Order: sequence, then structure tokens, then C-alpha cells
Amino acid sequence: MGSLLRLEIARTFRNPVSMVFLIGFPLALYLLWTKVLPVSAGTGITDFAAYSMVSMATYGSLGGALFIGGAIALERTGGWLRQLAVTPLPGHGYVVAKLVAGMLGVLPSIVAVLAAGAALGGVRLAGTTWVVLVPLIWLGVLPFAALGVALGYSLAGQSANMAMIVVYFGLSVLGGLWVPVEALPDGLRAVAEYSPAYQAGSLGWRALDGLAPTGTAVAVLAGWTLLFCALAVWRYRRAL
Amino acid sequence: MISQAERRDAAVRVQGLRKHYGAVHAVKEVDLTSKAGEVVALLGPNGAGKSTMVDMIVGLTKPDSGIVQVFGLPPRQAVLEGVIGAMLQEGALLDDATVIEMVGMVASLHKNPLPVREALRKAGIEDLARRRSTKLSTGQKQRVRFAVALVADPDLLLLDEPTAGMDVRRRREFWHSMQEFTASGRTVMFATHYLEEAEEFADRVVFLRDGSTVADGSVAQVRSLAAGRTLRATVSGVSEPAMRALPSVVNVEVRQDKVAVLSSDSDTTLRALLSRFQHARDVEVVGVGLDEAFLALTSRTRTGESELS
Repeated sequence: MGSLLRLEIARTFRNPVSMVFLIGFPLALYLLWTKVLPVSAGTGITDFAAYSMVSMATYGSLGGALFIGGAIALERTGGWLRQLAVTPLPGHGYVVAKLVAGMLGVLPSIVAVLAAGAALGGVRLAGTTWVVLVPLIWLGVLPFAALGVALGYSLAGQSANMAMIVVYFGLSVLGGLWVPVEALPDGLRAVAEYSPAYQAGSLGWRALDGLAPTGTAVAVLAGWTLLFCALAVWRYRRAL
Repeated sequence: MISQAERRDAAVRVQGLRKHYGAVHAVKEVDLTSKAGEVVALLGPNGAGKSTMVDMIVGLTKPDSGIVQVFGLPPRQAVLEGVIGAMLQEGALLDDATVIEMVGMVASLHKNPLPVREALRKAGIEDLARRRSTKLSTGQKQRVRFAVALVADPDLLLLDEPTAGMDVRRRREFWHSMQEFTASGRTVMFATHYLEEAEEFADRVVFLRDGSTVADGSVAQVRSLAAGRTLRATVSGVSEPAMRALPSVVNVEVRQDKVAVLSSDSDTTLRALLSRFQHARDVEVVGVGLDEAFLALTSRTRTGESELS
């Protein structure tokens, strides 16, 4: 199994498309929000450069976690899983390797956006804050890895990617990662507070002010993780 | 690895095997035992149930009923022990990985694999080791998948349409590299719809049609089947059942008064035809090729049954 994991990690870091999509895109949006468009006006957020940095790091890594499922869908429909099924690899070996490699692949998008915040956005934070931001954002997107696996075992090939892009953008916007939830209409805002992307973002946003995650955030994220895991296990079993 | 005692067991033992998908009976009551060291061809048209059989033997598909054993082990156990190497029809490669990465990864999943280089050499793709699969031709991809199957150093190789998409020359090359494997006394079972492949490379041919075995025998027996002849005659008021009742008849076609009878022993059939239908005229006897015999045996698809590959 170690050998499959090594291969998966190598593949994750050599895939130029996902590296551009998951690092380049959040970086570009970060610069757009903070340098070009006056998005901060009327949100009442004092340090918008830092706030948006956390949003975009969460946004990029959320995509990385979710698109673990895109690769699963392609490899499942392409027949690679059939190939693996006639080797001594245990049944769960593939999905575990995918999750571990995929979640490692999320780290560069977090680090890249944080680096851009410090270098280009003029964000100044305490050393410990920088250090806790990385694991907090990383943990926050775990439910999306489970959701990605569920989608990857439900949908075939390209339709899985389409569905994931819709889920990705939809949840990111609803969760206030693009535009702060304060700018959303009241009705949506109430829903947003229970959405996984908003609570994933809240871990980092609160850390900027030196605050620990709220109980609500932990409960909401744990709830979504459990739900998506159950969904993933169910779809995985059916797909075998 | 299999001990000497186990090697003497049946390589593949299939008993009362059945599998249906919805209303389609992909495999119905197939019995098949292959000896260790035998090269068996599963021959039949698309939808005959070949792939379903192969999937059940490697443990990818669970039979509705019946027994599958590979060297006395249940399929999944045999895969875990590295007894089976399989090349499946829809098995794919990773676009963004090199040949040696994929074969090497599969090798390290096995307890006693072949050295990766040796597997590549046996599959004839040593020079492609560092190439990514997007840069491989169809034939080269098949060889990589062959190397993936070989690297387990298996006692049984199961190949589902291994030469699909290859031209005649590539097909020859492929079977040439296969011969090295079979020369060491190991067992091969392959599904194909190329008759010449079965004839040329198998010790034994199993004809499948509509999920059932319609013929099973040595290549020599298959050849004798091909030595059959077609009798044509004009017989007024003839019926198909009456024609089928003639001795040594393999297949019958009746069009108005004209009959065409495929016979495995044309002399016997002709004598019976002439004595039972004394008014038969325009009698003609022609030899048939293996192709026609094969078609007669396998291509009759009954109405109301959909095809499933």
C-alpha cells in the first residue's frame, strides 16, 4: 500500500492543471478582492486583507479536497480501479491513498495564499497566528474531502467534474469565501451560518483575532463530516 | 506461490456457474475445469458471456450461484496469494504515470513479484519504461497491461480480449511474448472472438454462446468440426425439424424448398437425406472453413435476448 501512496503523492504534485486551478485561481482572486475591487466597503471588516487571505486559502484548499473525488470518478470509469481490484491491494487501500495524497496536495494552496497575504497584501500577524492558520484551514476542509469521495463514487467521468464545480462554487459563495457573508441578503446569511464552507472559513477568521473556534463551528463541521462520510461509505460500497 | 501438490490440482474449476443482470442471463450453468499447464481459449461472439466468466474467475463479479476455484482457492484468495495475473478488457492505465511507476507499484503489492525489469522485458516493453501512458499506442498499452499481469509471477494468467485493437502483426508479437510464459508450464485462459487466435495458441477451445458452453474440446476436435461440409439441396415440402433429425447435423437453414445443412460427417448425412427424401434434387456438397463452423455454432442470437458483452 505504501507504494500506491507514493505514486499518488507524486501524481498529486505533478498535475499542472490542478496546481494552477487550486493555487493560481485563489491567488488571482485574492489580489482582485484586495487590490482591484472595493469589496471591503460596507462589510465592516477592519483588516480586509487578512480576512480575504483566510477566505481564499480556505477556498483553494476546499477545492483541492473536493476534487479528490474528480480523480476517483475518472479512474473509476476509466478502468484503473478494475485493474487494482485484481491485485492484492485491500479494498479500502485505493480510497485511503487518494485521501492522504489529496489532503497533502491541499497544503501548497494554503501556504501560497498565506505567503501572498504577507508579501503582497501587507498582512501582519503574530508568528503563532501564522502557524495555527495552516492546520486550522486544513482541518476545516476535511468534510469536503468526504463529499468529494461520495461524488466520485456516484458520478461518472466528466459529469462528476461538472457536479463538483457547481458544488465548489455554490458552497464557496454561500459560505462567504468570495464575498463576506455580511454582504449577502439576510435570508441567505442565516443559511450560510450552517454551511460547511462558512464554518471552515470561520476557523481561520476567528484565529486572526486570536479567538478559538466556536462550539457551533465545531458542531456544524463535525455534522457535515459525519454526513458526507456516511454518504461516501454508502456510495463506495455500492460502487464495488 | 503454489506448491507442487497444489499445482497438480485443477487450475480453474467452475461448477454450475450462473450470473444474470436483470432479465439478461449472462452466464447460465457453465461447468469448466482446466488442468494446470493448459492454454484454454474462451471463444464466442460479443454477448456470449466471456467477460462475465473472466470477471467471476478473478473475483470481480460475484456469481448468483455455482463454484469458482483457482488452484483450489476462492478467487479473491487466489488474487491475494498472487496466483492470478489478470488482464481485463476495461482495465486502464493512469494517464499521468510512467510505465515503470505503474508496473513497479503493482509489483510491490505482491508478496513474490517478478523483478520489474524482467516483467517489462517479458512483455517486450523494456524500452518504454520511462514513458507516460498518454504517449503509448493501443498495442503498447496492451503490453503494459500484460506486464502488470505478469509482474505478479502468477500461476494462472487470465486475459480478456488481450489483443483487441491490435493489428495482425502486433497480435503475433503479443502471442509470441505469451509463449515464453506458457513454455514454463503455466496456465493461461483467454477470451477472444478471433478464431485464429484460439486455433493457433490454445490447447483447448471452449465455445460460448448466450452464456452456455456449446462446444468444448481440443484444437484437433475443433479442426475436425471445421472439416465439416455443407450439403445443399432442393427438397419440396421440407421442414426444419425433419432436417435437424438427420444424423451428424450441426446446423440447418431452410429457405422455401432450399435447404443448407452443416454436417460434421457429410457422407452419413447425405445417405440419410437421400433415403428419407427420395425426391431431393440439385444436391451439392461443399467444404466449410473453420469460420463458418464457428459462426454456425456461435452466432445464432435468439430473438428476445439482448446482447451483453
